[in-house]
Amino acid sequence: MLSAQERAHIAQVWDLIAGHEAQFGAELLLRLFTVYPSTKVYFPHLSACQDATQLLSHGQRMLAAVGAAVRHMDNLRAALSPLADLHALVLRVDPANFPLLIQCFHVVLASHLQDEFTVQMQAAWDKFLTGVAVVLTEKYR
Amino acid sequence: MVVLGEMKRKVLPLHFLQFMRLLVVYPWTQRFFDSFGNLSSASAIMGNPKVKAHGKKVLTSLGDAIKHLDDLKGTFAQLSELHCDKLHVDPENFKLLGNVLVTVLAIHFGKEFTPEVQASWQKMVTGVASALSSRYH
Repeated sequence: MLSAQERAHIAQVWDLIAGHEAQFGAELLLRLFTVYPSTKVYFPHLSACQDATQLLSHGQRMLAAVGAAVRHMDNLRAALSPLADLHALVLRVDPANFPLLIQCFHVVLASHLQDEFTVQMQAAWDKFLTGVAVVLTEKYR
Repeated sequence: MVVLGEMKRKVLPLHFLQFMRLLVVYPWTQRFFDSFGNLSSASAIMGNPKVKAHGKKVLTSLGDAIKHLDDLKGTFAQLSELHCDKLHVDPENFKLLGNVLVTVLAIHFGKEFTPEVQASWQKMVTGVASALSSRYH
């Protein structure tokens, strides 16, 4: 499903994020809560106090999972199975929210990487994250 | 709104060429542009003169939106009818275009494109998308 070129672009984007998972993750969450306030319902403690330490910690966790997805982009289902269970049984985040998170992810990348964030990278990354979202929600029913 | 006005002055002359990222990131949107010629690759799309011209037209129209934020539905009434009756564009595409525009702005403004600024722009493009679909029937 992912071409060799797309895989290369995805890896390229990840290389620019790796090492900064906490910072990028925290900004991702901050943008999500600011731009799409309804998403805060899924993070009641986090979004209420917006404590920097907690945002960094949760951001780190989320981006670490994205990193795992990048490392296993040929077998997302297996790699993300525990997370898929978590989302289906515990978190039950409505699937409509994933595109909102993905949009914020693009904006984080765009504002940090600027011209380095080429249209090919954006296309490949969007395709990849959409695939991750499908896997995370496919055990819902 | 001051921020939007300021940004409009900076944005319109720049990067409208990048605007048609939509056609690359969401290739199914190319369905509306069969007459545009070569859209076979990212570089073909970004270098296509008809794409550039259309990008400029759309961005100018968005510039009008910024001037009439209090009456987007009125401002876009005719364009809405056009997109429904003549162009047959699924309104979902307006959301996609709005989102791509926001990422292009983020590229241009970098750190200045704070979460609050993003929120204002997302709100605006949502308003434009809503106005453009308001006359659909």
